[in-house]
Amino acid sequence: MTDVGGTAVLREPSQQVSPRAIPFWTVSALIGDAVLVLAATAAYVLVPGVPGWVGLLVVLLALLATVHVLAMPRIRFRVHRWEVTDTAVHTREGWIGRETRIAPISRVQTVDSRQGALMRLFGLASITVTTASAAGPITVDCLDQHVARDVVARLTAITAATEDDAT
Amino acid sequence: MIPEPGEGYVRLSPRKLLLDPVKAVGQAIVPVVIALVGISRSDTQFWPIIIPLAIIGPLLLGALPWLTTHYRLTATQIQVRSGVLNKTTSTAPLDRVRSVDLEASLMHRILGLQKVQIGTGVDDDRITLDALAAPDAQALRTTLLTRRAVAEQAAEHAARSDDLVTERSDEPVAPPPPAPAPAVPLAQIDWSWLRFAPFSLGRLVLVLGGLGVLSQFADDLPIWNEETATSVWQWLTQFAVAAIALVLSVGALVLWLVVSVAGYVLQWWGFRLVREHGSLHLTSGLVTTRSITVEEAKVRGVEITEPVLMRLVGGAELSTLATGVEDGVTQVLPPCPRDVAVAVGEAVLDRPGPLVEPLVEHGPKARRRAWFRQLRNALDVIVLLAVGWWWFDLTWWWLAAVAVGLLVLAAAAGEATYRHLGHALSADHLVAGGGTFARIRTVLETEGIIGWVVSQSWWQRRIGLADLTATTAAGAERVLVRDVRLDVAVALADRATPGLLTDFLAPARTPQPARSHARNSASNSA
Repeated sequence: MTDVGGTAVLREPSQQVSPRAIPFWTVSALIGDAVLVLAATAAYVLVPGVPGWVGLLVVLLALLATVHVLAMPRIRFRVHRWEVTDTAVHTREGWIGRETRIAPISRVQTVDSRQGALMRLFGLASITVTTASAAGPITVDCLDQHVARDVVARLTAITAATEDDAT
Repeated sequence: MIPEPGEGYVRLSPRKLLLDPVKAVGQAIVPVVIALVGISRSDTQFWPIIIPLAIIGPLLLGALPWLTTHYRLTATQIQVRSGVLNKTTSTAPLDRVRSVDLEASLMHRILGLQKVQIGTGVDDDRITLDALAAPDAQALRTTLLTRRAVAEQAAEHAARSDDLVTERSDEPVAPPPPAPAPAVPLAQIDWSWLRFAPFSLGRLVLVLGGLGVLSQFADDLPIWNEETATSVWQWLTQFAVAAIALVLSVGALVLWLVVSVAGYVLQWWGFRLVREHGSLHLTSGLVTTRSITVEEAKVRGVEITEPVLMRLVGGAELSTLATGVEDGVTQVLPPCPRDVAVAVGEAVLDRPGPLVEPLVEHGPKARRRAWFRQLRNALDVIVLLAVGWWWFDLTWWWLAAVAVGLLVLAAAAGEATYRHLGHALSADHLVAGGGTFARIRTVLETEGIIGWVVSQSWWQRRIGLADLTATTAAGAERVLVRDVRLDVAVALADRATPGLLTDFLAPARTPQPARSHARNSASNSA
């Protein structure tokens, strides 16, 4: 058997997530990082006799957090994409690494949607499509909530029509 | 006797009345004794009341399951009713029965009983009948497995006559008699395989765990305090340390030989693997006997594992990957010669090839990744050790020696990982090679693939590699092809599940050099 290097590659899924995902990711990253940086600063100030270079580490941590809060949502918005055709669900996600997931709709078992408190504030929702494999759940983060509702309705209709036990 | 379809509920074997109360008394004995000791210190006047209670209570509790558990067969279902206050009725359609496992502990075997577990394709939901008389259990197993086949045929027939409306459906259709289905033996124990027992380290974990528990007790022994330890140490150092180490390691080796061989004999005594009623049927065990049945239609593939020590002596282990079995991966062969494992694997897959064909290598970049990954792990450990060394102010020579040792080990691990790496698509099966020290080859029917995940870490993106995961309901629910070139991964996925990826394919952004392009398209069309 030879090394079959195909010339085809996977194209990116056609749909982008809601543009409101950028402020949502920014705010949630800000909350997480602020807690971390504040804790580090408090520890630095309160613990007596800490050498000076630890202060530099705290400043570095704050800088990294700033970069994370500013850059991550934008990169992630460019990377996150999804597509639901009549036969398959296709998503791409990640911001440092990349993860592409494809599952045939005939094998879909459940379709869930989820909306946290902060997500509701931004009018966003996530949907998760599971198959019979624990390794197979496909999540589309931060869709517009109306779009999410439509997608769930469509997927449920299609999966209800298939009779197989999907294993 | 097992009930005929349509008959009412029947109880489990009355001999269960001997089994459960004994077990219940055994479980209750420790708390009861503790309670008795506590009471006896305070007062003795309640003894005449307490002792009968302590004995009769567990006996009654043990009898309850027999009194309350009933089961019956209908034409299409098996139903089990149990519970005292909360009655539960479990039902399983006969055509959904995927596996029927029989198990008998020593107590079961003395009483001539067997525990029956019926798997129905839903992972956690197994129907357990504990216990039936051994002949009844066998009869139930045969009945369930043959009736499953009949029920499926009937369902198929019904579906067919639904499709063909022109066919007169009122015509009486005699169900085809169940095929005699002679049992085809696939493998049975060959005691020359005992030579593999010491090389199979799976049992070592159990032994070490046991030793750990023992050492807990050793701490409590009165002789084991610091003074005795130092005096023993002084006494020991009078002898040559090397001699002591030699004696200890020889002792450990002999102990290991005995334990591993004994364990092998206990587990695999009377091992037989046969194919009957469209199922794989495994029986084995010296003290506790097991009888495992896996429906072949649910077997999606096999996995052959050659742990590093076993490879030295040419041994291997074989597991089936199935859906609807408790943990999906069922070891169907004891450690045995590789040829036997391959032959049985091919019999299970029903085709030669996937287990022996050479794999497509993943190339020098994948080798670099494999080395890099292992070396980085080693470096992490070394950094941690260095911090520890600095903290405790130890000699740096030792650290250097440990570091060199770790790096050599990591390099060996990296190279071994790369050698085991590979993939192939052969006879409708996806083949993935992997494993660090053990060589593991996983073969999965492409029918069983229910999705793909292509993931790239930052490191992998830089050199164009990806991890391709085929998701499945069988076995460990995923088959990983690691560090494969991205375009190769996509092509592999496309060929394994034709049509699924078609909508999402696009021509490569960077045009390939003409020569390799020609070669690729040639091999694609081949």
